[in-house]
Amino acid sequence: MISLRSILDPACVVVDLDLRSKEEIIKALVDLLSAGGDVTNRDGLLHDVMAREALAPTGLGMSCAIPHAHSASVLCTAVAAARLKFPVDFGAPDGTPATLVFLMVGPKDAAGMHLKLLSKFARFLHDDAFRDAVMTTADASSFAELIYTRDT
Amino acid sequence: MKLLVFVLNKEEFLEEVLEAYVEAGVAGATILDSEGMGRFLAYEVPLFAGFKEFMKGNKPYNKTILAVIRNDQVVETLKRLVDEVVGGLDNPGTGIMFTVPVDWTSGLVREEEEV
Repeated sequence: MISLRSILDPACVVVDLDLRSKEEIIKALVDLLSAGGDVTNRDGLLHDVMAREALAPTGLGMSCAIPHAHSASVLCTAVAAARLKFPVDFGAPDGTPATLVFLMVGPKDAAGMHLKLLSKFARFLHDDAFRDAVMTTADASSFAELIYTRDT
Repeated sequence: MKLLVFVLNKEEFLEEVLEAYVEAGVAGATILDSEGMGRFLAYEVPLFAGFKEFMKGNKPYNKTILAVIRNDQVVETLKRLVDEVVGGLDNPGTGIMFTVPVDWTSGLVREEEEV
């Protein structure tokens, strides 16, 4: 399994993001990934992520959401993450709006890895102590480091 | 003694598969309604809804047949008969058959009463 350090660039992590809608948040995270150079078509990726959102909610519950898509508009699997200043509804089964949002994208031919990665993040986020640490960590760099440390 | 587990994905062959069990000498079996992990994740867990397209062509539900086998020869015969019925278990999506050792039982049909 690929290491999270190789797919989550600390530059693609933002804390206390002050946006109030799911669409704005996803756009911001797509833009973070696009700045990294692995996105060949920013609008195409945004379209694919929003199309996936329309299919079924990506709110995981416990104040977390994992919007995601496999897309022809990315060259490799990548993750961007945000801790929101104000929780936003991602349609979680437990009704809690999301404060932690992880955008996960990957090429269409990497569905197996995408599935494993999605499951791995869901497992991490079910861990109360991990979630609490990410919720209170000081900055983007320490946020990313918590994820790398958990991925052992 | 072994527990023979057969997950039959092609449910339409259940009747013929059970005939094969009887012919091979399996005295009794339990049939469970079951479903694949992929179907459950893609259709019942919203987070994985995007993987529905990968379920295309897969059978969502299957039958799991449990049988305690006393004689290894029965397994060999059954495998051959089942392969004939379903077209070969090596073909993806057909089914999975395996055995595990059984070290204790109670309530089985007595050997002398088996068909």
